[in-house]
Amino acid sequence: MLLKAFFPTCCSSVDSGLLVGRWVPEQSSAVVLAVLHFPFIPAQVKELLVQVQRASRVGMAVLGTWCHSQQEPEEPLGHFLEGLGTIFPHDPWLQLCRERGSKSWSCKVSCQQAPAALGVPCEDQVMLIFYDQRKVLLSRLHPSAVLPDHQAGDAPASTRGLAAVFDTVARSKELFRSNQFNEGPVRLSHWQSEGVEASILVELAKWASGPVCLLLACLLSLVSAASTCRVFRLWPLSFIGSKLSTCEQLRHRLEHLTLVFSTQKAESPAQLMRKANMLVSVLLDVALGLSLLSWLHGKNRIGQLADALVPVADHVAKELQHLLQWLMGAPAGLKMNRALDQVLGRFFLYHIHLWISYIHLMSPFIECILWHVGLSACLGLTVALSILSDIIALLTFHIYCFYVYGARLYCLKIYGLSSLWRLFRGKKWNVLRQRVDSCSYDLDQLFIGTLLFTILLFLLPTTALYYLVFTLLRLLVVTVQGLIHLLVELINSLPLYSLGLRLCRPYRLAAGVKFCILEHEAGRPLRLLMQINPLPYTRVVHTYRLPSCGCHPKHSWGSLCRKLFFGELIYPWRQRGDKQD
Amino acid sequence: MCAQPVTDTKEAKWQKVLYERQPFPDNYVDRRFLEELRKNIYARKYQYWAVVFESSVVIQQLCSVCVFVVIWWYMDEGLLAPHWLFGTGLASSLIGYVLFDLIDRGEGRKKSGRTRWADLKSALVFITFTYGFSPVLKTLTESVSTDTIYAMSVFMLLGHLIFFDYGANAAIVSSTLSLNMAIFASVCLASRLPRSLHAFVMVTFAIQIFALWPMLQKKLKACTPRSYVGVTLLFAFSALGGLLSISAVGAILFALLLVSISCLCPFYLIRLQLFKENIHGPWDEAEIKEDLSRFLS
Repeated sequence: MLLKAFFPTCCSSVDSGLLVGRWVPEQSSAVVLAVLHFPFIPAQVKELLVQVQRASRVGMAVLGTWCHSQQEPEEPLGHFLEGLGTIFPHDPWLQLCRERGSKSWSCKVSCQQAPAALGVPCEDQVMLIFYDQRKVLLSRLHPSAVLPDHQAGDAPASTRGLAAVFDTVARSKELFRSNQFNEGPVRLSHWQSEGVEASILVELAKWASGPVCLLLACLLSLVSAASTCRVFRLWPLSFIGSKLSTCEQLRHRLEHLTLVFSTQKAESPAQLMRKANMLVSVLLDVALGLSLLSWLHGKNRIGQLADALVPVADHVAKELQHLLQWLMGAPAGLKMNRALDQVLGRFFLYHIHLWISYIHLMSPFIECILWHVGLSACLGLTVALSILSDIIALLTFHIYCFYVYGARLYCLKIYGLSSLWRLFRGKKWNVLRQRVDSCSYDLDQLFIGTLLFTILLFLLPTTALYYLVFTLLRLLVVTVQGLIHLLVELINSLPLYSLGLRLCRPYRLAAGVKFCILEHEAGRPLRLLMQINPLPYTRVVHTYRLPSCGCHPKHSWGSLCRKLFFGELIYPWRQRGDKQD
Repeated sequence: MCAQPVTDTKEAKWQKVLYERQPFPDNYVDRRFLEELRKNIYARKYQYWAVVFESSVVIQQLCSVCVFVVIWWYMDEGLLAPHWLFGTGLASSLIGYVLFDLIDRGEGRKKSGRTRWADLKSALVFITFTYGFSPVLKTLTESVSTDTIYAMSVFMLLGHLIFFDYGANAAIVSSTLSLNMAIFASVCLASRLPRSLHAFVMVTFAIQIFALWPMLQKKLKACTPRSYVGVTLLFAFSALGGLLSISAVGAILFALLLVSISCLCPFYLIRLQLFKENIHGPWDEAEIKEDLSRFLS
């Protein structure tokens, strides 16, 4: 049977001693965590092991001996080392040896309680695997996505073994806390952070973070209490609040901040990562917002913007008027019903006229409004972008109105035509059985139905053209808004902290490991170096994505096309309940 | 190889059953097989004049379409005043309404339970809706090409003739679809007329000739076959006369068509009956003769 011994690289040149670690019987692997130097009192060693075991809940044991000497171990030392096996009984007993100055390693494994019936000394083969203790301690293993044919918990054995190693190292943090240079009763050799003194700022920050969090949490709870005040639940305000993306964004950010500054400690590393991601995302957002603010409020850019906005809105209205006049003629040589065409065209022209007068009424106040709105950028770039999106929505309200009128008219015609077509064929829709049944109609029903069918059929192209043009305009506006929302979502949900970690400390997020062969000679144990495979960026984003607002309805392309064809309203109105014919 | 079964047949007689094991292959039949062959058991013998009488329904419907197209042509040319057509149509409708009740002395009305008030209401609905929509109808197809309209009307009238309920029991027959197609064609044609009054009169006339007239015909045919023949002949001659005033060639062709349908087709049908050779026997697929509808409910 092949025995795997995981050995920390930092211990490969320390003095001789005992190997302390954990034995994983399922994988037949020994995870060496530290080397315990001579001299020691066995009772104290055992006490230390029990302490560590209690703190970390990992089965600690003395796994064997470590011998690092000038020459081959002399006879008395060899006997002494073998004798230690009787003080710390462990099965199997490892004996690692390294000659000082040379690269030759040797490893012996002996089993005390070898079954006597077999009568053979248990000569296992040993594979030495070196690992960087610091990296393994800090890294978090992300098991590969479970294949669909594997049940949960049925992950491949190798993955489980690796997870056990990572888990052992991570949980025995308690062991690493003891300082190498301390003059304690027991001297241990293992990895330890260098420069604890340099991180005094971190310590200060840690110390200060508690009260700051408490204060901010109080403030945030005040704000959220104010936002759930009854005034905001009244009909017009709640309706406006649910439709404006600014309100959605503010609510979302408030949730983030509440979570980040909650006084509860993060329970799992994933939650900690999530908090850090949120904090970084909020900080970046505010930084970007502040830079935008300083750019906007310098050199009277707000005034320029306000001066440009009204002519642009005017221009859009003029272009729309031209479009309508074109539609009222014979657009693209299409055969439209002249009377209906004129009626629709005049109706829409009047609407544009109303809109222009509204814009002109507004124009003196626009600069003032923009200046105040610009201040909101200090809440973050995302808030400013959401406000921009809302302003676009307000300024293109006439396009939205046209779209709604066109869609309603078109929808009416489509549904009318489909049910009249059934009447035309002498069928009807049976609601109870959800199918088309044949039906005998009265003479007058048939006559009126067919009359209406003919009229609707000949008027359909005109309505459809108006609907098509206004839907295209509306889609353009929705696309612009969608792009802004996409940007906001990106800032909201991108796990920036995780990405930075992946960039600067690739070992912190491990996808798996790879092994390099250090030495492979006959008669000597196989020596491998375990290196950590960093997680790919796509999986980092996928794993640590922050939940998005979820305030925008999601359409598949198919359902969008279907809705467009049947003239049902797309964004921002939610889908009504299932349509009953 | 064949010797074995032959010797067996003398001992074991073959039976036409599958539930007993027999020393024959599954597809074995003996000589009695063709004894059950029957020929033409469902063939019917037709009387020539009876078939001619039945074909008059087709003639009537062809003539109706012809009369409708002729009247539309007169209207389109401005040779026929809409008032006159409206008056005539109204008068003939009233006469037909009275006749409809007189023929069977009100028995059909009692059976259907339809009141005169409902009739009046229907008539009012027809008139009101047609009159209200006639300006819309007038401008409905302004921008559509005349040829398109003609093609659409021809297709719709052909469909009307195809799907009309001539009394045959076939899946294709749908009186609803046929009537709807006729109304569609009449609306298309009416939208080509010069004024909205014309359109109104035209659609009203279409209702009378495509919806009301076949109802009266059916009752006439059922109750007084002799007068029905007379009416058919009169109607056919008037349609021919109308067509003759427009185009002589069309009238001749239409006359040929009518003659071939009413005289040649029945003759041909009876001749072809002689060549009929349907065979029936035990190989026919099973036919369920009992009425199973009581199990369905």
